[in-house]
Amino acid sequence: MSDLPDVFEEVLALLSPERLLLDPHATGEGVSVCIIDSGVERAVLESKFASHPIHRVEGGIFTAESADPLPYEGRQSSPHGTTVADIVLSLAPGVRLFSADVFGPRGTCEVEVLVRAIRWAADVWHCKVINLSLGVPEQRMQQPQRRQQLQRAIEECYHNDILVIAAAHNEHPHTRSYPAAFAPPLLSVDKRLFTDPLQFAYEPSGQIEFSAHGRGYLGPFAAEPATSWAAPHLTGIAARILSLRPELKPFEMKTILYWLSRPRRK
Amino acid sequence: MRPGEASPESVLIVDDEESVRKTFREWLESANLGCRILTASDAESALIHANQRTIDLAILDWNLGAGNDGLQLLEDLAVFNPDIVAIMITGFAHQATPLDAMRMGVRDYFDKNQNLDRDTFLRSVRRQLDRIRPARRERQLHQGLVAFRSALEKVLPLVRSAAVLNDPVPLTAAVRHLLRFLQQTTGAADGVLLVHSFEAGRSPAEELRAYDFSGALLAQPLVPFSRSIASGVIGMQEPVLLTEIRSTPGAVELQPFEQNRRNLLAAPLNVAAGIRAAIELFDKPGGFNEADRRLAAAAADFGTEMLRQALAERQTQAVLFDAVDAALSAGDSVAKALESGSAPRAEDPPPANVLDELRRGLRDTAESAVEAGATVRLAEAIRVLALRHGPHAVDHCVRLVESVRALLDEAAGVAEAAP
Repeated sequence: MSDLPDVFEEVLALLSPERLLLDPHATGEGVSVCIIDSGVERAVLESKFASHPIHRVEGGIFTAESADPLPYEGRQSSPHGTTVADIVLSLAPGVRLFSADVFGPRGTCEVEVLVRAIRWAADVWHCKVINLSLGVPEQRMQQPQRRQQLQRAIEECYHNDILVIAAAHNEHPHTRSYPAAFAPPLLSVDKRLFTDPLQFAYEPSGQIEFSAHGRGYLGPFAAEPATSWAAPHLTGIAARILSLRPELKPFEMKTILYWLSRPRRK
Repeated sequence: MRPGEASPESVLIVDDEESVRKTFREWLESANLGCRILTASDAESALIHANQRTIDLAILDWNLGAGNDGLQLLEDLAVFNPDIVAIMITGFAHQATPLDAMRMGVRDYFDKNQNLDRDTFLRSVRRQLDRIRPARRERQLHQGLVAFRSALEKVLPLVRSAAVLNDPVPLTAAVRHLLRFLQQTTGAADGVLLVHSFEAGRSPAEELRAYDFSGALLAQPLVPFSRSIASGVIGMQEPVLLTEIRSTPGAVELQPFEQNRRNLLAAPLNVAAGIRAAIELFDKPGGFNEADRRLAAAAADFGTEMLRQALAERQTQAVLFDAVDAALSAGDSVAKALESGSAPRAEDPPPANVLDELRRGLRDTAESAVEAGATVRLAEAIRVLALRHGPHAVDHCVRLVESVRALLDEAAGVAEAAP
C-alpha cells in the first residue's frame, strides 16, 4: 500500500501559490468585491492606478434613517476605507469594487446598518467577496436580537457562496469583536508582517483562523500594522483565486487558503 | 413679593372719625375676609398708603372735612390704581351724583344714619371683593407674565451665547487637566484636541473644532474632517503612532498645526453618535513609544467618559433652555388670551412695534415741528384718556387744545394757517 501514489497528495501538490496566486490571470478580474467601511475616495484610486485603469468604483452610503442607500458620489467619510480599497486593488487590480459607506458623516455604524449593507452587497450588487475591516465591540452586541441579525446575514452569505472576510480586533484575544467572532461562516483575519503581501498563514487561535500582511500602502496610517489592513490582503488573495475559479464556495476557498498556507517541501 | 405672586387685597378705610375707622376695622377683621386692612384719617394719609401699595377697595367717607370730599379722593386714588373700586359712606346720600360716582368707581353707598350695620357693611364688602378678586388675579398674572418674559428675554440670549452651548462638546476643566497631564507625562511638545460633530438638522451640519491643551479654540482654518488624520485615527479605533507625517492628496491632508511635525501620537475618542474627537500629541524628543501609546489609550478612555458626562450635562441644560423657551412662548399665548378676554388696560403701554411704527412715521415727516418722542407721549396720553374716560373726554381735550392754540395765536398775532 505504501508504494501506491497518494492521489490527494498529487492533486493537492498542484495547488501551489505559484500556480494560483502568481498566475497571470489571477488579477481579480470578474470578481465583485464590496468594501463595507467608511467610503472610498474614488479619484485617489483612479489616479494611483492610472497606468492600469481599474473598474469604476460604485457604491452607496448606508444610514439608519433610510432603507435604501444614499447615492455614492465617490467620496470617503474618512480615509480608512480608501486605504482598505487600495490594498485590495494593489493585490487584485482587476476586481470590481463596491463601496458601502456605513459610517457617513456621523461616524457611527449601527448593527442594523451593517446588516443592511451586507444584504445589499449580496442581493443588489451581487458581490462575491465582502471585506469587513471594522468591528462591533461585544458590548454593543449584547442584545441577542442584534447578534442574531448579524449572524444570520453572515450565514446567508455563506449559503449563497459569498465570501465574508472580517478583521479581528486589534487587541485580540482579549476582546471579542463581531462579526469576526462568527467564524467559521466567515474568514477572520489577524495581522502579521510578511515580506511578501501575498503571503498569509493559517494560525487558528480562538475565533481567528488566518493572519495576513498588516501594512497598507496609502496614507500616513498605512504603515501602522493593523488588522484593518490584514483583512483586505486576504480579500485580495481570495479575489485572485476567484478570478481563476469564480464558482468556488466559501468552504472550498477556506480549504484552499489553508492548503496554500501550509509549509511546503522544497 | 415677586411679580405675579398672589397677595391679599388691600382695603383702605378713610374716615376722619376714629370711632368709625375702628368700628369698620373690627367688623372686617372679625369677618376673616383674607384682606389687608389699612386706615387713614384724611386724604393725605390715604394717598401715602396708595403710593406704597395697590389699594383695591376704598371705603370712603363722603365728607372728609377740611374741604375734602371722598369723591375727589377717589379720583386721586385712581391715579395709583385705575381699577380701584369704592364704597361711599355718607350722611348726605342725596348730595351724591350717582352717575359721576359710578363712573369714578363707586360701587355702593351707605348712609351713616340709616342702613349701616355690620351685616350690611360686610355683605357689601364681600360683594366687592368677589368682583375684584378675579380681575385682580388676572392683572397679577399678566404682570407676572410681563416680568417673567422680561427676565427671560434678558437672560436667554446671554445663556445661549455662552460657549458651553455653542461648543459641540464642552471642554470641562477636568478634560483640560487630563490633556495637560498626558502632554507632560509623554513629554510631547504640544498637542490638540479635535472635535467633529454632525447634526443633520443643523446649519452647517458638520462642524470641526480644534483646541489647544489649555482649552483655547484654534482659529486656523481646518481641512475637512473626512480627509484628516483625526478621522483616520478614529477609523483605526485605537491610538496610532506616526513618524512620517505626510499628506496623501485627496485622501489625507494635514491640518495647519500638523505641518512640519517630526512625530505624532493620536488617539480616538468616540464620544457619542455624531460626535467624534481625537487627541493629537506632537514632537516628543526621541519619538513616542509603546508606553506612550498605552497611556494615550487610557487617557482617551478617561477623556471619552469625561466628554460624555459634559455632553450629557450640556444636553440637560439645552433641554432646560428649550423648556424655558417653550414657557416664554406659552407666556405670550396666555398674555394674548388675557388681552383678548378683557378690555385693554390704560396702564399697559401699546405694543412696542406699534410705538416704533408711530415714531418712524413721525421721524419721516420732514415738516414735523415737534420731537417724535413728545408726539408719542401726547398720543399715549390721549389714548389713556380715551380708555379711562371715553371719547367725550378726548373731545373735551381737543377743544381745550384748540382754545389754547387760538389764545396763543391771538397773543402772537399769527393768522390761522390755511388747511
